[in-house]
Amino acid sequence: MSNATAETPDITVSPAEFSFVKYDADEIAAIVAELARLLGISNPIRVMIDETTPLAKLSEELDGTSADATITLHAESGALEDRKHPMSFSPENARESLGRILLRARDRLRPDFADAPRDLDLSLAENAAWDTYCVGRLTRLGVASNQQRWRYNHRNRFGFGDHVDRAFDALWGADDLGWADVVATAGG
Amino acid sequence: MRQFFPVEDLARDERFVQTNMAERMKDGRTAIELKETSAKSRGASKRLTPDRHDASDAARGLMHGIMVGEIQALEGAGRTAHDFAAGDGTNDTIPFELKLDMARQAWDEARHVEISAKLSDWMGTELGEFAENTVLFEAACSNDPILRLAGVNRALEGLAIDVFTQMKEFGDIAGDPYLEFCEDWMLADEVTHVKMGSDWLRKVTANDPDRRTKALEFQQVVDKLFSFGGARGESEESSFSLAKRFRELAGFTDDEVKTISEMDAEALSERRAQVLAYREKVGADAPT
Repeated sequence: MSNATAETPDITVSPAEFSFVKYDADEIAAIVAELARLLGISNPIRVMIDETTPLAKLSEELDGTSADATITLHAESGALEDRKHPMSFSPENARESLGRILLRARDRLRPDFADAPRDLDLSLAENAAWDTYCVGRLTRLGVASNQQRWRYNHRNRFGFGDHVDRAFDALWGADDLGWADVVATAGG
Repeated sequence: MRQFFPVEDLARDERFVQTNMAERMKDGRTAIELKETSAKSRGASKRLTPDRHDASDAARGLMHGIMVGEIQALEGAGRTAHDFAAGDGTNDTIPFELKLDMARQAWDEARHVEISAKLSDWMGTELGEFAENTVLFEAACSNDPILRLAGVNRALEGLAIDVFTQMKEFGDIAGDPYLEFCEDWMLADEVTHVKMGSDWLRKVTANDPDRRTKALEFQQVVDKLFSFGGARGESEESSFSLAKRFRELAGFTDDEVKTISEMDAEALSERRAQVLAYREKVGADAPT
């Protein structure tokens, strides 16, 4: 485990040193700290990177809903990778990926997300809907993203039609939804 | 105009970053199951279908690979039309009709580049977002035009048949009308390109069995490279499979299809061994 910087003592990144990819645990911790400040999250955060796979699956879990509950972010190495330079780190992609699941973790601290399934139990459609809701908010906070990529992801799960595009726009532009609203809005 | 263009000199703007197969194989990470007989630990099949958790991103990556492949196929066919004088097929010449076929193929590939770029945009991918593997053009740099036909038209365009079949199916299942339609049209062209390669290879080497053998051996080398360490194959660990029916239409014999299928399996096993060796070297635990 690598302790993060002095300003963010409650963030740890594992592994502390990488063998398969050219990533730096302190750089990742600094990005998570910056995201936590941006999202107003004060909980302790653990980041677990699986560097043995180039895939990009992300998930998060909390051990409670209080202000001191620990948030654990799981990321496969591809989620933080520079796609032009395989095995190299991309701060931009890391910001978008980790910001997305950190925002999801923040949602879970709300009572109206109590019914949301654990990340690994979400259906593919539920997962896509929540991603749309999270990335839309992230972009309004200044984190760069390609909206068309997420529109395509949403269409793949809900269908290729105008009503689905309208649902995507509604979710993307929303700021204060509960889990039931996210699910109800997603399919149009 | 310059002839015999090396891969290092391909014209690209600053959006594109190139890599090659040697660099790619240095990556010790893998999504494939490392133990051939074990139950799956990382979850579902790796086949590129919409029910994969990363379906849209995986499809975007493959679509970008197709687009840069089309650019290189255009460059390769154009070079073959230009690099060799018209003749009877001996002494570094090619029949004039073969030049015409290469010119037609270059025109097809140019159209495919445009289609693929538009599909990439539709899927939310920026041009140059992923590294460009130049292995395709490298197969088009042989000094023997018949080896180019074997490497590019039969091996590379054969791979394109497999990939397009998978992407067409992806579009069909996901309900993406543009992806399905575009892949279907490009697939039809690829079958024609492979057939051109099959026909010309047989015709030009009709009286030169040694040259034909050499060309078919080169094709096998390229075919194995193009299986990308098991990305193509019948295993559930592979992203896409061998499109046997379309390959038959394109002039592949049953024995040739069987040989490619065996090489795909071999490439997957070799990739497993390579990754396990890398993990041992860095002292990482292999996932069970």
